[in-house]
Amino acid sequence: MTTRDEKDHIAILQGTLDLLVLRTLLFGPQHGQGIARAIQLQSGDELLIDHGSLYPALQRLENQDWISAEWGMSENNRKARFYKLTKAGRKQLAHETSQWERLSAAIGRVLAGPKAEG
Amino acid sequence: MFWRKRKDSDFTAEISAHLELEIERLRAEGMSQAEAEAKARREFGNVRLAEERFHESNRWMLLEHLRRDLSYALRMLMRNPSFTLVAVISLALGIGVNALVFSVVNALVLRPLPVEHPGQLVFLENSRSNAGQSFPMYREIRDHNEVFSGTLGYRVTQVELESHSGAVRSWGYLATGNYFDVLGVKPMLGRFFHAEDDVSPGGSPYAVLSYGSWQARFAADRDIVGKTIRINRQPYTVIGVAPRSFHGTEVFYWPEVWVPMMMQAQIEPGNAWLEEPATFNTWVIGRLKPEIELKQATANLNTIAARLARQNPGANEGISFFLTRPGLIGDTIGAPTRAFSFGVLVLAGLVLLTACANLASLVTARAADRQREIAIRLSIGATRGRVVRQLLTEMLVLSVLGGVAGYGLASLLSGVLSTWRAPMDFPVQFDVSPDWRVFCFAALVSVVAGILFGLAPARQASRTDANAVLKGEVSGFQGRRLALRDVLVAVQVALCFVLVSACLLSLRGLQRSLTMHLGFEPNGVSMAAFDLGLAGYSEQRGRDFQRRALETLEQLPGVRSAAFSNSVPLSIDQSHSTIYPEDQPNLTASTAPVAIMYQVSPHFFETMKIHMLVGRDFDWHDDAQSSRKVVVNMAFARQILHSENPIGKRFGRGPKGAKQEIIGVVEDGKYMNPTEGETPVLFEPMTQRYNTMTTMLVSSSLPESQMTEKVRQAMAQLDPELPLFGTGPLRQVLAFAFLPLHAAVIALSAFGLLALVLALTGIHGLVAYGVARRVREIGIRVAIGATPWQVIRLVLARIFTLLGLGAMIGLALALAAGRLLETVIFGSVRDPLVFADVYATMIVLGLISSWAPTRRALRIEPTVALRHE
Repeated sequence: MTTRDEKDHIAILQGTLDLLVLRTLLFGPQHGQGIARAIQLQSGDELLIDHGSLYPALQRLENQDWISAEWGMSENNRKARFYKLTKAGRKQLAHETSQWERLSAAIGRVLAGPKAEG
Repeated sequence: MFWRKRKDSDFTAEISAHLELEIERLRAEGMSQAEAEAKARREFGNVRLAEERFHESNRWMLLEHLRRDLSYALRMLMRNPSFTLVAVISLALGIGVNALVFSVVNALVLRPLPVEHPGQLVFLENSRSNAGQSFPMYREIRDHNEVFSGTLGYRVTQVELESHSGAVRSWGYLATGNYFDVLGVKPMLGRFFHAEDDVSPGGSPYAVLSYGSWQARFAADRDIVGKTIRINRQPYTVIGVAPRSFHGTEVFYWPEVWVPMMMQAQIEPGNAWLEEPATFNTWVIGRLKPEIELKQATANLNTIAARLARQNPGANEGISFFLTRPGLIGDTIGAPTRAFSFGVLVLAGLVLLTACANLASLVTARAADRQREIAIRLSIGATRGRVVRQLLTEMLVLSVLGGVAGYGLASLLSGVLSTWRAPMDFPVQFDVSPDWRVFCFAALVSVVAGILFGLAPARQASRTDANAVLKGEVSGFQGRRLALRDVLVAVQVALCFVLVSACLLSLRGLQRSLTMHLGFEPNGVSMAAFDLGLAGYSEQRGRDFQRRALETLEQLPGVRSAAFSNSVPLSIDQSHSTIYPEDQPNLTASTAPVAIMYQVSPHFFETMKIHMLVGRDFDWHDDAQSSRKVVVNMAFARQILHSENPIGKRFGRGPKGAKQEIIGVVEDGKYMNPTEGETPVLFEPMTQRYNTMTTMLVSSSLPESQMTEKVRQAMAQLDPELPLFGTGPLRQVLAFAFLPLHAAVIALSAFGLLALVLALTGIHGLVAYGVARRVREIGIRVAIGATPWQVIRLVLARIFTLLGLGAMIGLALALAAGRLLETVIFGSVRDPLVFADVYATMIVLGLISSWAPTRRALRIEPTVALRHE
């Protein structure tokens, strides 16, 4: 059952979640819920993170040593697992960002191109 | 840290922490606790799924899958013991054969000599006499080359060795003083001799014993060092014992003793050659300096060759050097050995391929039976990759089991082979015991075999259409399964054809060898050899002894004729000489023809049944007082003298040798090996050219074993101290000459038989499977009036098409690989009779293997068959 407001959000493209997570962590360590929230806020509420796929994604990034994690306390004193960007993660972020920029520029050019007739 | 494990509970804790945080946020936005909880959960989605995905992403999963696959594989294999047994046995045979052949190749070709940095050692050969160099040449190279950090010279030699149990004729090495130091071998007891021990001729009566000799002849006496032993009836001081692993610098020759080179004149009495520039008796091994390339080394050595040729054109003209691998007398034995063992290894590989093809078709048949199980696994969510991995794991378990059994088999057989001594008077022995190389080879072969025969069927099984199978349709595969099985059988038949051809071709070679014209008749002749020089006889006493021995043997009852010679054809002891015919005055060392030579007594040709074509045999009047006489064979007359009747022509041995006159021509024969072409040979009368090496030959109507015993007794009465060797029937020299052929026949027969058995089971499996699947169809056909003959055709048509196809491919393969096969089978591959036999074998094979299933097809009762399924 999906509610109406969830339907209005843009589904996140396959593979872009990693990029968004890495980008969010650039501002400092954050826990999973914080990451999801930050992405949602920064996208002007356009992007909604499927929390169910966020955690496997975090695990994947951790396995690749792009982020590291440890348990800590949240601002309102709850136990949470905090993620932090590693050096390799920064490199990966730079790489993926430039990839993404090229991709979206290319798609933009295609969409802005001559309109099909009829 | 790579295999770090994050606990599942940690992940669950993280998720609940997330939910708490989310609920808190929603509450802060003004929702009720219940609303917030519901929304948080909804946003999160399926918690279980997330946990599952986390679990799968864990690196430990690979190991866990592997463990599960393994235990499942073992269960499946145990549930089907007959399949498992057949698979493991055929793999064990295939892998065992390969591991065994490989351990022989390893011993002969791959394993380096047990010395320091064996890779730096090179064997010196020259363009004219190949392995042998003259000793002056060796000295020149040792002292003036710029590319070797050490250069050693040595020579295989016979000795008479005395121990507690009396004198024996034995084998050893004459070796230059630097021999052990250049090789970098350390003594097990005492010390080795060094360069400074080997300076003045006759001045270094030292002996180093081999480990085997020390054990067998001197009872492993730990105080042996410093003791005096007698070699050639002269005293030598034992200075040390070599370590067990060191058998000198030839992998097949296990000497008993090393003596410094300067003792050459004492060890080989009557034949001092250290200062002879034209006697090429020294084998030379150099240790390359680091960073010196073979090319550089050869170039440097050839500048020395040029200098040697200028200094002594008579002996050294036209000689150039090249470097080969040590261990098998350079390329002399090395090149044919390497070709032979490579050929056998390839054929052994074919046996394994046959076994793999066989297993692959077994597995495909089994996969067909298992399609229901696979379909269920696919439909409850296993990925195709997982199914393939599972099936591959099963195959790998099988091949590892087969590999272990095969390796065990190979170790057992190579143990037997290592203790085997060639049937000849020469210490030929190989250490073929498996080492880590053999182990790695067997392991690699097992895994490759497992993947090879498992991958195709596994992929096919994974293509199973789960829906169709579970709905009960006969086949969930898409059409190609039978094609794959057919291909596998055709491949198997083709490989089997090649192996059976190789086997029959080698048997033909054996058959030819039995009727081959050798130029002499070994049957009925007994022999006994001794060396009067080693025994300390002077020339005059030696001549008297030879004559007396001959007269004694001639008196023995049952003797038709007796003679003696220095050696006999096809034994390992063959001497060569350059020939300078009187009417060809312009010959030089590099252009003079070469002939094998023998010194023989009168009646030698009669005793050996060598036919005299023209002229006469020697008699006792051809002695020192008369002019020098010689008998040659037809090849000598044709090739060297260009005349079929050269009686009266004269030639000299060596540039300055006294001219000898030809008084007879005998038929050609085989002298070095049974496959050689026409070879020039000369025979000199022993009465004019004394030789201390004496082989007594007796032709008799008595069985050879009886005659040998009588000869032995008679000789013991003449000189009880004299060690005899090579006593036995003359046929024994053939055992040596035909050794490679016999080895080939044994190996190839085993291969051929294995391939036949494998093909038999493979074809049987295919036909039986075909009949089982077509029971209904056959039942219907019989019901509407098919004759038994039509049923037989139905069953056999396909298999005989495949047989024909496989045989055709096999024939093409065998012919294409002709050159490779010919290195192994001692004969030409193009033998139509053999191929006809192989075709017949294949047809019989097809009939036998499809006999039982065909009978089953004929017994099908339509009424029963139609109720089937």
